[in-house]
Amino acid sequence: MNLLEVKGLCKSYPGFQLENVSFAVREGSIMGFIGRNGAGKTTTLKSILHIVHPDAGEIRYFGMDFAGHEGEIKQQIGFAGGAVDYYKRKPIKKLLEVTKRFYETWDDEACRKYLALFSLDENKMPGELSEGMRVKLSLTLALSHGARLLLLDEPTSGLDPVSREELLDTFRYLRERGVAILFSTHITSDLEKCADDITYIAKGKLIASEPMAAFMARCRETGVGNTLDEIMVHYEKENLYEKAAE
Amino acid sequence: MKKLLNKEIRLSASPLSWIFLAGALMTLLPGYPILVGAFFVCFGVFHSFQTAREANDILYTVLLPVKKADCVTAKYAFTCLIQLLGFLIAAALTAVRMTLLKAAAPYVHNALMNATPLFLAFMLLIFTAFNSVFIPGFFKTGYKLGFPFLRFGIVCLLLISAGEALHYFPGLSFFNAPGGEGLGLQCGILAAATVIYVLGTFAACRVSRKRFERIDL
Repeated sequence: MNLLEVKGLCKSYPGFQLENVSFAVREGSIMGFIGRNGAGKTTTLKSILHIVHPDAGEIRYFGMDFAGHEGEIKQQIGFAGGAVDYYKRKPIKKLLEVTKRFYETWDDEACRKYLALFSLDENKMPGELSEGMRVKLSLTLALSHGARLLLLDEPTSGLDPVSREELLDTFRYLRERGVAILFSTHITSDLEKCADDITYIAKGKLIASEPMAAFMARCRETGVGNTLDEIMVHYEKENLYEKAAE
Repeated sequence: MKKLLNKEIRLSASPLSWIFLAGALMTLLPGYPILVGAFFVCFGVFHSFQTAREANDILYTVLLPVKKADCVTAKYAFTCLIQLLGFLIAAALTAVRMTLLKAAAPYVHNALMNATPLFLAFMLLIFTAFNSVFIPGFFKTGYKLGFPFLRFGIVCLLLISAGEALHYFPGLSFFNAPGGEGLGLQCGILAAATVIYVLGTFAACRVSRKRFERIDL
């Protein structure tokens, strides 16, 4: 069953266009969402969450349209957009207390578990934490209400290698329990360790959205590259000197 | 909405919103344009909008399991709560001035507006201006505060000036009697201002919700 279906998503900004992006995230799977900086990953995620308004396209969660089921859908999804960037001067404890009231399925025990796992002191304020620790706080908020679908924008950026590995273990643990995860990143080695599917966009256009194994096999066979890094470089490397001379 | 109001009070509200409620105490000041107290109450709420903007509250709120537009309604609920408290303080002090202190010399010889039901009506009109000029102006972008507040400030100044000037017009001096004259008329004006406040705030909230739905965050 698809927990998230995106069809023909389009969004235009001056100087940038997201064109006809389509993909689906299956229950109990991890989808890596890759593309270089400025490719449109964050715009796609924001459009999916209706933080920005798509010009065209259809977005369905759990078989439901976002419009008309906004509250119901948000109860079942978790979003972490990198480091916590709000209420940096409020104690984490207070932030958690206020946030949890909104979720019917908030799990205090899970919250405590993730706070301990990530070594987060709830008496501190987000502003007192490093970038990496604020990413962990953001994930704690997203993981504590038993979300069925996690949308994570660069969740491993700013994390040390040990924390990244622990986080990937958490993703695998959640996947076994049927949670679907869509996470954008340009740390491609993270995806090679855990992604089942991959969606790749470049300059706002969809390059691929398919099972990771099939994508890698196709790229290997066609000589595009053996790793995600090589594949991205193959598709997107520009000669900056030639570009500057144009 | 209860949860969102709790969020507004516990996270978004600036302490200044509560402190500036003291502006309503200006109702007791003789020889002072007491409608400025209503401006200060609104100024306190403005600080909460500013604090919320700096704390990235809107992004935090729209990611909660609520409708995006409910973020706007929550701001109105908090604003109306503060305004209601300000109004109740001013109304209680107005009652004191019109009864126990009606013969007090500073109020009898007050060149400026006395605390009367008409004063309370003007207070509600200033609150309506805040709700229908500043807040919809803010929700055009979700981050620009300056010009919407400036526009409210101009409307507020005009309302204060009108309130202060009214009792100088021929035949209208009774509006400023410390013990209240023409109470029936004044209470009628207060009732009309209450209707304007309620309807104006509802209409402004609808406009703000629509504007906020349209913007990309």
